Amino acid sequence: MGVRYSFSVTSVTPTATADTTNLVDSTYLGYLQGGSSTMRLNIAEVYMGGEAASTSSPSIMVLARDSTVMTGTAGGGRNAALDGSSTAPGTLATVGNTAATTKPQRSSTLHLLHLSYNAYGGIVRWVARPGEEPSVVGNSASLGEVSLSAFTGGTTGQMSSHILYEVV
Amino acid sequence: MKSVRELEGYLMLDHRHGAPVPDEVVVHAGLPVGAGRGLFESATYTCKHCQRVIVLGMNREKPATFCRGCQHMICDPCAAEKHRTGVCRTFDQVIEEALAATISPKEF
Repeated sequence: MGVRYSFSVTSVTPTATADTTNLVDSTYLGYLQGGSSTMRLNIAEVYMGGEAASTSSPSIMVLARDSTVMTGTAGGGRNAALDGSSTAPGTLATVGNTAATTKPQRSSTLHLLHLSYNAYGGIVRWVARPGEEPSVVGNSASLGEVSLSAFTGGTTGQMSSHILYEVV
Repeated sequence: MKSVRELEGYLMLDHRHGAPVPDEVVVHAGLPVGAGRGLFESATYTCKHCQRVIVLGMNREKPATFCRGCQHMICDPCAAEKHRTGVCRTFDQVIEEALAATISPKEF
């Protein structure tokens, strides 16, 4: 078993963005990219908690592979090992919700998980059966990166999220 | 004896303390009518061929296809492709091919 991590992002109001369109910095919940051309990540859990203060905010959130992967310095969010005694692998996954050079773009076909929920008081949590986790392989399109972002439609509201994943 | 239920994941949508999600939105996302109201819990499965996650629904009404090639559940588009070609190509094979194209023999 590899080292398990939590990639979390707090208090982001996503912008509804069409497929194959640049995801603008800090307007989506994050991307998860392999730290090398051979790294494999298994996604075990996705959680989002709505923080919209006063108005109904049905948010069409999608976990999808990216047809254009981010490049440049990654920023945003926090990446923490779940087990404090874990020895970190030599290379870490690349995570964040800002990208200095190339912005990620969600694939129009490779949507993995639709998690529509209302950010006004709503919670959504998906957990994979061990051994049945969607994976990220390498660091190039389209297997090498997934993103969690808002699809067009709905009325997005502020939310926080975490993605639990394992570096295999 | 193994059961396909051993392959299932879990989805929870909790709108007990906030506004619901309109049915047209949840249905568009592949969820059943009513999933955006109150507490919704459902089993899911990960398609062995493409890794898309399918929500089975409250009464497990979402039809799922069992692939006898890989002994796993697969989604509707992959089931159609399997029916058309007769080939079971799992995502693990896709990964192996991607890695083989990346890693030269010298690196093994």
